[in-house]
Amino acid sequence: MDSGRQLIFIFLLSIFSVSILSAQEKVTLSGYIKNEADGEALIGATVFIEELGTGTAANIYGFYSITLPSGTYTIQYRYVSFSTQVKTIELIENQRLDVELVTESKQLDEIVVTSEALDANVSDVEMSVEKLDIKTIEKIPAFLGEVDVLKSIQLLPGVSSVGEGSSGFNVRGGSVGQNLVLLDDAPVYNSSHLFGFFSVFNPDAVKDIKLIKGGIPANYGGRLSSILDVRMKEGNSKERSISGGIGTVFSRLAVQGPLKKDKSSFFVAGRRSYIDILAKPFTNDATLFFYDLTTKVNYDFNDNNKLYLSGYFGRDVFRFDERQGFDWGNVTGTLRWNHLFNDRLFSNFAFIVSSFDYGFSFGENDLDKFDWNSRIVTYTFKPYFNYFLNTNNELLIGGEATYYKFRPAEAVGVSDGQVSDISLDNKFALESAVYIDNTQKLSDKITLRYGLRFSSFQYMGPGNVYEFQATSPGERKELISANKVNGRESIKTYYNLEPRASLRYKVGNGSVKASYTRTAQYIHLVSNTAAPTPIDLWTPSTNNVEPQLGDQYALGYFRNFGGGNSFETSIEGYYRDNKKQVEYVRGADIFINEYLEGDLISGDGRAYGVEFSIKKNAGNLNGWISYTLGRSELKTDGINNNEWYPTRYDQTHNLKLFGEYQLTKRTSLSANFTYITGAPITAPTSRFTIQGVTIPYDYFNQRNNLRIPATHRLDIGLKWLPGKPGKERRVDDYFVFSVYNIYGNKNPFSIFFSQDQGRVVMGDQVNTLANQFSIIGAPVPAISYNFVF
Amino acid sequence: MKRLIIILIGFVFYSCEDEISIDLKDAPSALVVDAWINDKPEPQVISLTATQGYFNSEEPRGIAGATVEVKDSKGNTFEFRDNLNGKYTWDPTNVAEKIESEGTLYQLRIELNGKVYTASSSLNRVPIIDSLKFTFKEEQNVFQPEGYYGEFVATDFRGQGDTYWIKAYKNGVFLNNPFDLNIAYDAGFNAGGNIDGVVFIQPIQDAVTPLNDDLDAIEPYIIGDSLYVEIHSITNEAFYFLQEVQIQTQRDGGFDEIFAEPLENVSTNIVDQTPDQINKVIGFFNVSSVSGRGRKLME
Repeated sequence: MDSGRQLIFIFLLSIFSVSILSAQEKVTLSGYIKNEADGEALIGATVFIEELGTGTAANIYGFYSITLPSGTYTIQYRYVSFSTQVKTIELIENQRLDVELVTESKQLDEIVVTSEALDANVSDVEMSVEKLDIKTIEKIPAFLGEVDVLKSIQLLPGVSSVGEGSSGFNVRGGSVGQNLVLLDDAPVYNSSHLFGFFSVFNPDAVKDIKLIKGGIPANYGGRLSSILDVRMKEGNSKERSISGGIGTVFSRLAVQGPLKKDKSSFFVAGRRSYIDILAKPFTNDATLFFYDLTTKVNYDFNDNNKLYLSGYFGRDVFRFDERQGFDWGNVTGTLRWNHLFNDRLFSNFAFIVSSFDYGFSFGENDLDKFDWNSRIVTYTFKPYFNYFLNTNNELLIGGEATYYKFRPAEAVGVSDGQVSDISLDNKFALESAVYIDNTQKLSDKITLRYGLRFSSFQYMGPGNVYEFQATSPGERKELISANKVNGRESIKTYYNLEPRASLRYKVGNGSVKASYTRTAQYIHLVSNTAAPTPIDLWTPSTNNVEPQLGDQYALGYFRNFGGGNSFETSIEGYYRDNKKQVEYVRGADIFINEYLEGDLISGDGRAYGVEFSIKKNAGNLNGWISYTLGRSELKTDGINNNEWYPTRYDQTHNLKLFGEYQLTKRTSLSANFTYITGAPITAPTSRFTIQGVTIPYDYFNQRNNLRIPATHRLDIGLKWLPGKPGKERRVDDYFVFSVYNIYGNKNPFSIFFSQDQGRVVMGDQVNTLANQFSIIGAPVPAISYNFVF
Repeated sequence: MKRLIIILIGFVFYSCEDEISIDLKDAPSALVVDAWINDKPEPQVISLTATQGYFNSEEPRGIAGATVEVKDSKGNTFEFRDNLNGKYTWDPTNVAEKIESEGTLYQLRIELNGKVYTASSSLNRVPIIDSLKFTFKEEQNVFQPEGYYGEFVATDFRGQGDTYWIKAYKNGVFLNNPFDLNIAYDAGFNAGGNIDGVVFIQPIQDAVTPLNDDLDAIEPYIIGDSLYVEIHSITNEAFYFLQEVQIQTQRDGGFDEIFAEPLENVSTNIVDQTPDQINKVIGFFNVSSVSGRGRKLME
């Protein structure tokens, strides 16, 4: 602890010395950069000072601030697919300048990027970061024609999933539970609808997504592997607009508009799947559907104060009659207040509520039934200060405090009218962090970003404290005592210092970047199924379960080619070293188990790989190729003879191609191709019979010792804008025709071993077989219609 | 629990499944001890067999030439004699010593080719079955068709830690599909469930009505069917062993595969007194008290 405080002190001191040295007579130019058409903040828009050859970028709220010696400057405001705006300004005193950029002509924006060279990927210190805007996402041919954020990011290097039908995604050999998914700052505990076929993010409501795979800045924390930061649209502050779509699986509708022009706007978007309605005549009372609602309201009080309120509510429902079924969903709410203390100090205060729950109901009447649900609820407060010190230093200082309430099981069983309440006690915890982060331009060649995050986690009462005694490694731990804690006292506290650093060094037309990230993770997603599912359980670190710790090192080379930087290329290598990754014992029971902690054990993890990426941003043909060569392994006492074994999401080769070709002004063709090494599974060598039951047996006692065949798939899409050339339509609309898995490859999800169906007479032998299971084994065509008016 | 999820998930999704042939690694065979004996007045069998290749569906090779005996804490010795095909049998008829008292400890000792294998079990209490019921139910959905559903009514003892294996026989035939495997920890699913001293919870009571051969719907009883239910007391270790067996064998395929747990070897309580790398031993020893009740479904 003491050494921790000391470190923070030294760190602060060094930053203040920087600020004193540079505190000369200078003036500040600041303001917001927005889209002229709808008033949306343009995240990451750049401000370039021609005379100085330097500049800055707008933060996630579209705010920029740059401090310069007084003088006259020519300033370029730039953003991808927007016309650059050039202003000449005589800067004598601090000046506020809000800028609205104009989209390049509607027909052209599909093909042409800006005329100016944008080389952020080379010149930024940021590495291991993937950004996708919604326009790109919309072009990617999608399963059943439904555009999807999470499916799209899986086409980028280092990102994958274990297959169709698995929730979530894996980044650089990390597990699904090691990703922090944020929707307008609110953590989303399960990001999937329908077992991962779709994500909870309604594309109509998404403005921008950013995936941070490495070099994670100090303002983010709490997960080992990645941060997916999804920002919602703010709502058109200029005019009312209605958009929507009718697809094969669901329909979408979004309404947005000003509440008070240029001051306040709102946004409401909803979707609902309707396969259940179409299938109704065939399925009696059985239904399967999902819906979600995403909404946002914002209000500009004055130049210095803005308020944003956003929320998400979604649910999947899976019922096989009126009383029996399974459902799950997320609810999030975020209230944010942006406040400008002065033209160089930007602040944001966020209050966040998020919850995820699932429930099961069985039984045909009230005398015989079984109801069970499980929930996680969190309340977060996040203050954030962005201080634009000078042209060379940009500081982030802030904190985060999250109060967790875990409700592992609320369950009631009724047998012949006799009621047993088998609910488990709630668990509580408080996670907090403070951080400081500075981006410093040392010279034209070198930019540094360094930061420190100090995090702590308190597992607290009221609740039960269990003590276990380890038996043999990999086996269930034995309970030795259980004590009740009544007050809000701390049961177990953990602290961690998480240093972060990135470096960019320009070499010729390219740049070399390196980064180091240490992260701590205090809550764990426990799953004992082959694929991540909605019933995986979030559980806190306790006196028995320690936090996970991860170190990541990354090194990359970035280079652009062609006029207007039309080709972006990069190669990045990474190495991740994780401690205390949560695994489970043989025969672990993760449902309604008071002694779950006795079934959890931890091991070490490591992942390494190289990611190659080539992107073409301009011309009639654009798209990208991304390839990852990687490895992801675990080592846990008592598993696989204590040797390293591949994780279920270990993928040696991962190749993704995406291309889009503008055929005519009104039609474009797109395609994506995926090739992934088959997932490893555990196969038996032998079988034996106990009491008439035939049981598989692996003589060598290995884990994940067999690879299922590789999966590959080609999807195509055609986007067509109806109407005649030169004729303005009242509605902006388009059709998308797509075929998923066009050559109908039966991509294996798993190979499983089981006995033949049916019963055999006691004493007779059963047949045991291997089966290959594919979730989608045929081409899936789809059509959708989308509109905006 | 698994049975519930499987019924629920299985139907909705179209899946695509093919039997495939793959080459599995060749492995030497291990010794399998199948030693589940009870206090019923009928011949008790302990089988010794060898593991075989996973795709080999021949009758397991019996291991002859072993000495198999069980001793209890009261000084009785039960000698199991080689009968044929590795089946070692002890017959309680016409002998003085019996397997019967609750709380007694039992030791299994096997001598084979100069090696000694041991295991222990206790004989635990078992509740009586108060009644068997058949209830006629309307069709609930595709999986719960119209018909008579059987259930047994019994109350778990007060005090935590009783574990049971509930076996059902339909028309005299033991329901031995992996999905029929029905176990209870007190009156619920597991130790952490805290359902103690009450009637077994509904999913456990109802599990004596089996699934059909395709495992896609419950198959209700029809007039004239008989149902016989036995509760076997088992040790906690045996409960965990059977729980692992459920995980490893209840594989219905299809969309359930998403919820499937990875393959893993089940545990064993057989101890090799001189362990070595070549002679592996697996299997389980358990001694049960048994209570039973039968009923025929009449008009």
